[in-house]
Amino acid sequence: MSIFIDRSTRVLVQGITGGEGAFWTKHMMDLGTKVVAGVTPGKEGQRVEGVPVYHTVRRAVQEHKADAAMLFVPPRFTKDAVFEALDAGITKIVTIADGIPLHEAVQIRKAAKSCNARVVGGNTSGVISPGLAMMGMFPFWIERVYKPGRIGVMTRSGSLTNEVTAMIVRGGFGVSSLMGVGGDPVPGTRFAEFLPDYQADPDTDAVVIIGELGGTMEEEVAEAMEAGVFKKPLVAFMGGRTAPEGKRMGHAGAIVSGGKGSVADKIAAFERVGALVADRPRMVGELLKQALGIQS
Amino acid sequence: MKLFEYQAKEAFAAEGIAIPKGVLCTDAEAAARAADELGYPCVVKSQVLRGGRGKAGLIRLVKGHDEAKAYAASLFAGPFDVRSLLVEEAVDIGREIYLAITVDPEAATALVLACAEGGVEIEELARTAPEKILRERVDIDTGLLPYQARNLAYALGFDAEGAKLFVPVLEALWRVFRSKDAELAEINPLFVTKAREGKPSRLIAGDGKLSIDDNAQFRQASSEPERSRFDSDVAFEAAKDGIPYLQFDGDISLMCAGAGLTTVVYDLVNYEGGTVANYLEFGGPNYKKAVRAMELCLKNDPKVILIVTFGTIARADIMADGIAEAIAKLKPRCPIVACIRGTGEEAAVATLKAAGLEPLFDTEEAVRRAVELSRGPASNASGAKL
Repeated sequence: MSIFIDRSTRVLVQGITGGEGAFWTKHMMDLGTKVVAGVTPGKEGQRVEGVPVYHTVRRAVQEHKADAAMLFVPPRFTKDAVFEALDAGITKIVTIADGIPLHEAVQIRKAAKSCNARVVGGNTSGVISPGLAMMGMFPFWIERVYKPGRIGVMTRSGSLTNEVTAMIVRGGFGVSSLMGVGGDPVPGTRFAEFLPDYQADPDTDAVVIIGELGGTMEEEVAEAMEAGVFKKPLVAFMGGRTAPEGKRMGHAGAIVSGGKGSVADKIAAFERVGALVADRPRMVGELLKQALGIQS
Repeated sequence: MKLFEYQAKEAFAAEGIAIPKGVLCTDAEAAARAADELGYPCVVKSQVLRGGRGKAGLIRLVKGHDEAKAYAASLFAGPFDVRSLLVEEAVDIGREIYLAITVDPEAATALVLACAEGGVEIEELARTAPEKILRERVDIDTGLLPYQARNLAYALGFDAEGAKLFVPVLEALWRVFRSKDAELAEINPLFVTKAREGKPSRLIAGDGKLSIDDNAQFRQASSEPERSRFDSDVAFEAAKDGIPYLQFDGDISLMCAGAGLTTVVYDLVNYEGGTVANYLEFGGPNYKKAVRAMELCLKNDPKVILIVTFGTIARADIMADGIAEAIAKLKPRCPIVACIRGTGEEAAVATLKAAGLEPLFDTEEAVRRAVELSRGPASNASGAKL
């Protein structure tokens, strides 16, 4: 089992005829993802990797009963593309777009909530259950990084995810389902909203959170743990411990502002609820062993 | 992008919020003349993007021509890179209010923040008296409704007359927030002037912060970077090239890929006791810009360049090609530590070896090596002058 996607998820790719859309559609299919249709307005009738392309999401869903949408759509068209998917009844949407305008990100999250749908991203590599399926862009062929296993991962970053996931594998573990919530200030889905899924997943023994400075998503995870929503072991790795206040470290969401978002606050929140916090990437594997009671 | 106070106030005034009478000046002579015209006492305010200007001595009430001129001259000559001053009339203040609009990422709404005690930074309020901060969530599509503004007006202690003044100010601030794609639109303090001699009190924006969402710059005017917004010439050049960059003043130039990874490399350098000269990311859309990235790093005369990547789309082999080209072209005299992994890493390793580098595969080992080298003999630390 996995969370969010598996081999039976019927994925539609918006922006499938673009360079990235076509390239990653191939890799998604190579891993075993069931890509049933593509959408690019004006390109109906074409095929990409054998996948039929439609003008509109509505048509593609009618023909192929897609239940998930993977967006390779530029940031300024992302709101339109997300709403199009929601309107067609799709409830699982992943958008990699880096640069969605803030006010539109608020509108996207609001719309997703009102439809009981999940939008993952933007500014993410996406979602992967190694060995099963992915919606997004992960170098799953690098075995020392994306080995299948029983550790859930949630992350705000891309390259850092490769780094930390490699440490999970080096520790003797593998990954069950990885959810990239993305590096934006208003992600479509927040860390804490995936916790019930990981709690319910019989194939996830523990979860690693790759967080960073800015926002309150890590604190919300600690609150959810306190409330008993999530009871499995949790290991957190936080970037930006030494970041100077007021500087935006790379990601749009990675800034301490309004007195909120310091890494010190986040670590304190995690430690209060018994989560283990890694200082360095390589400690993640050791802490997982400790959390799961495995002798090293 | 943060705007300067005077730009924020222009945006507020354009929507009908009253601001103090003021003149923007770029030299001490002009500042003194402006002060003469406004009359004394008046306020001289440095236009810099840092917070806490009052505490840093960057704002002062001046009482005469000589003081105005001397103070203005000291600001331009001072260490804070002051390039312009806003000289403003002094306002007859009755009370001060905090008022701001931002977003609530969890609720997926806009969020109005208000406090009856203005003039204090919100960070400090959140720490010392969080219960005094009033909050009103506003649906981003429906917009601010009048009852929400009234809720806040009465909670702030305005009477019926005062509420009639406050509601339009908040409505105007809402229009600024939406039309400017703001991350934050803040008036702190919002002055309530004293009513006297039959004149009713007024609401005047004493200060203004307006931060525009970088992702919406394409539909906002004046998106060209200006030198005055950046910490250094190199930071300014990097911004013009669209390369994420932060200026520091240490020994090690970070030339990494991915925001999250670069931030962690920054942390690791600090853990190991090293110092960072600059944070630079050449991942994402910039992964073919290694030559430019290294050129920018070398302008800091670093003791070491530390390259750490773990890219997916940003292919390792292409980044390695770029690094080899940069070394051939720029001939850096400082050592380079490279740890390049991800898509195409086998080819990348061969390329780096051919370029005379010893490729590493472990981020922490690479950081330790860079920190050691940054402490090394002076002959390694000469750097390359461009």
